[in-house]
Amino acid sequence: MIQVRHLTKDYQRVKRREGFLGSVRTLFSADYQTTRAVDDISFNIKEGELVGYIGPNGAGKSTSIKMLCGILVPTSGEVLVNGLVPHKNRMENTRQIGAVFGQKTQLWWDVPVIESLKLFRDIYKVPEAQYKQNLTLFNELLDLHEFSSTPVRQLSLGQRLRADMAAALLHNPRLLFLDEPMIGVDVVAKEKLREFIKEIDRDQKVTILLTTHDMTDIEKVCSRIMIIDHGRIVYDGSLEQIRAEYGKQRKLVVEFEEEVPDFSAPHAALVKTEGRKKWFAFNRFETSPSTLIADISSRFPIIDLAVEEPEIEEIVRTIYRGKPELVETGIK
Amino acid sequence: MDALRLYLRLVGVSMQARLQYRADFIMGMLNVIALNAVNLGIIGILVYRFVDLNGWIVWELFFLYCLWLLGHCLYSLFFWHFWEMEEYLIQGTFDQFLLRPASPFIQFLGREVQYIGFADMLVAITGLILAYVNLDLHWSAAQWLFFPIIVISGTVIETALTLMTACIAFWTGRSDMAINMIMEFNMLVQHYPIDIFGVWFRVIVTGIIPVAFMNYYPSLMLLGKLDSNSPSAWLGYISPIVALILSVIASGVWHLALRRYSSSGG
Amino acid sequence: MKIFWSFARQAFQYISVYRFNFFMEFILTLVRMYGIYWVWRILYTQRPGAFGVSMEQMVTYGVMGMVLELFIWSRPQWYMANQVKSGAIDTDLMKPLDFHVHMLARSTGESLIGIGVLAIPALIIAYLFLDVQFPPDMWTALMFVVSIVLGFLVFFHLNFLLGSLAVVALDIRHISWAYFSLVRFLGGQIVPLWLFPPVVAAIAEVLPFKGTYYIPISIYIGRLAGVEAIRALEFQLVWLIVLVLVSRMLWDWAHRRLVVQGG
Repeated sequence: MIQVRHLTKDYQRVKRREGFLGSVRTLFSADYQTTRAVDDISFNIKEGELVGYIGPNGAGKSTSIKMLCGILVPTSGEVLVNGLVPHKNRMENTRQIGAVFGQKTQLWWDVPVIESLKLFRDIYKVPEAQYKQNLTLFNELLDLHEFSSTPVRQLSLGQRLRADMAAALLHNPRLLFLDEPMIGVDVVAKEKLREFIKEIDRDQKVTILLTTHDMTDIEKVCSRIMIIDHGRIVYDGSLEQIRAEYGKQRKLVVEFEEEVPDFSAPHAALVKTEGRKKWFAFNRFETSPSTLIADISSRFPIIDLAVEEPEIEEIVRTIYRGKPELVETGIK
Repeated sequence: MDALRLYLRLVGVSMQARLQYRADFIMGMLNVIALNAVNLGIIGILVYRFVDLNGWIVWELFFLYCLWLLGHCLYSLFFWHFWEMEEYLIQGTFDQFLLRPASPFIQFLGREVQYIGFADMLVAITGLILAYVNLDLHWSAAQWLFFPIIVISGTVIETALTLMTACIAFWTGRSDMAINMIMEFNMLVQHYPIDIFGVWFRVIVTGIIPVAFMNYYPSLMLLGKLDSNSPSAWLGYISPIVALILSVIASGVWHLALRRYSSSGG
Repeated sequence: MKIFWSFARQAFQYISVYRFNFFMEFILTLVRMYGIYWVWRILYTQRPGAFGVSMEQMVTYGVMGMVLELFIWSRPQWYMANQVKSGAIDTDLMKPLDFHVHMLARSTGESLIGIGVLAIPALIIAYLFLDVQFPPDMWTALMFVVSIVLGFLVFFHLNFLLGSLAVVALDIRHISWAYFSLVRFLGGQIVPLWLFPPVVAAIAEVLPFKGTYYIPISIYIGRLAGVEAIRALEFQLVWLIVLVLVSRMLWDWAHRRLVVQGG
């Protein structure tokens, strides 16, 4: 579905010179400064995959997505979306893709939602039967009928996002970009949206690329995760893989009867103390929690304990920092 | 979708959107009428005290003013949002245009509609009719035919100039100041016949920012002020050609702007 | 006093950030000056000495009208409208500073920038290229300066009144256009009051607007001299006092309403 090979994008920025004289000089002879926003990335995405695309701000996410959409022309490398080169066949490519932006709506602000949808139907030349079918589907899955006659400016955030989803899928695109679609949405609405996304993927085999900062979205929705940082793909694999590769670590959280001095346990490292609680990190393949608990409880009386899995967030953060060997914090 | 049909469809939606703001509309209309009244009042007083302005008597000056206004109001009805180009770029609206299988230009054109232009139109048409009657004009069939062409040419000239200036935002991120500059020249050309100004100004508004073709030169022809022996008499007739040339240049600038956007991301 | 210096520093930063804007504003003013110069030149070539003034005086009048616009303009109404919209007005009201004085300080700062950065260069160009004259004597120049200060204060309070209306959630954007156009007209920016037809002249003579452009500029070109000039300054002063009182009353009322409504 998507094939990306050695994709690179450089931006030329005029170097601004200081002061008034500097600005005048800039008018005549500009000095350019090249920033590499996307650096030689390659990946394949198959039809129907649900991919989470994450990275810190400025990592090159939006730049790479813009190239997939055909908005931006790559500096070098190739991009193929369903066999088409996006920037060369912009019109054709746009018929097969859809997008939802959490920050900004695609709909016309002051008119009822249904009017925007009709307009999209005309722009994308959606056959009447398909249009009606999709509306029925959206009524069912997104409760669209509840607010389709309301102008977009009067919708709540959750409703607006649902409307944007409907608009993005109206023409049955093969590829759907979701750019931070659930920012600011309440938990219940988020759950519904996640269900909807999964349903669409199951049903219509739509390939979905989800950009988000919320790891729960990724965990609940995506099967695959790509992490981009400083213009490079630093991780590309499934969630299980990431947990397996990087998730060797477990943390044992122990709450003692009273505050106790710090101590070290065999095959575990004390990573945090807070009042009566202590956090011990251990490698789950090398140490069994029960042994560790036995050891600790033999020293001091315990009143509560829990075993924590590393959150994807923590793992990802460590990957961002370029330290994929996050687990080896003082442990063999 | 066929470009014209798409455009009309978009304008339809924009009109629907604009109708939501009725209170604004009334206030806006009253304001525009007041504004024009003050402007015409100023011209009126000057001529009342000085008899004429370089040979232009009061009704001729009102004609000059309203002819410009008529061309302008069509522009402001449909294309007033051009000067918001920088907002479109910053907020990502422009990206949305590029995500759809339709010409980004048509989408940009049809984005918004402003009804305040109607107030200008009322003033302009009233003024033109009164001037025609008071000046006892008797246009030939050819002049009558030419009149709407001149008005449309005026609209096209202003639209093309504003579009080109708005496209500056693709390179510098801002365009409002440049557009204000064009507006300033427009104001002078609208209120006063350019033959009172110095050479430099006349050169600018004829050859560089050719807004004088919105009202001044056509007025010479329509008011019978053309000296047919003068070597520059033909200027009175070429508004449509100027409009055409500007459209071609504007379309070129737009294409350059799009190319710039897709290579540097705006 | 410290307030003024902090505003001055802010102003300096403001200038460097918005230098492009200032430059454009400057060019626009030059275009306007150029335009009005030619209008009066033509009119006075047709009828030299009309109404007891010379072409040089009228040209000076017109160009000065454009230059004055740069610094007697203040924008407290926009500041107030925006602050209310964004809710930030609460922080302003919590400061240990009388709001009225705060706005005045802010506007004064802006005007001083306008004078330094825009008006003085514009005046230089006007003197060099547009036949603008110097005032006839030192005494006139002094009265001119006093008149400008009064004019600025009058204009400020007119706008402050508008801002108070904005604070009680009236949308001032629409009425502003027509309002300011009227102020310029009745204030004699382009057409001096002695040219107005009788009815309009009568109205313009009593309203405070003539204190913004007409009085200072007429003093400058020597049209209002001696006793008449003093009378004119008194007129400005009287209106200023009235406007200050009305402003304070309106602001107090608006302030109370704001507090009650919760903004």
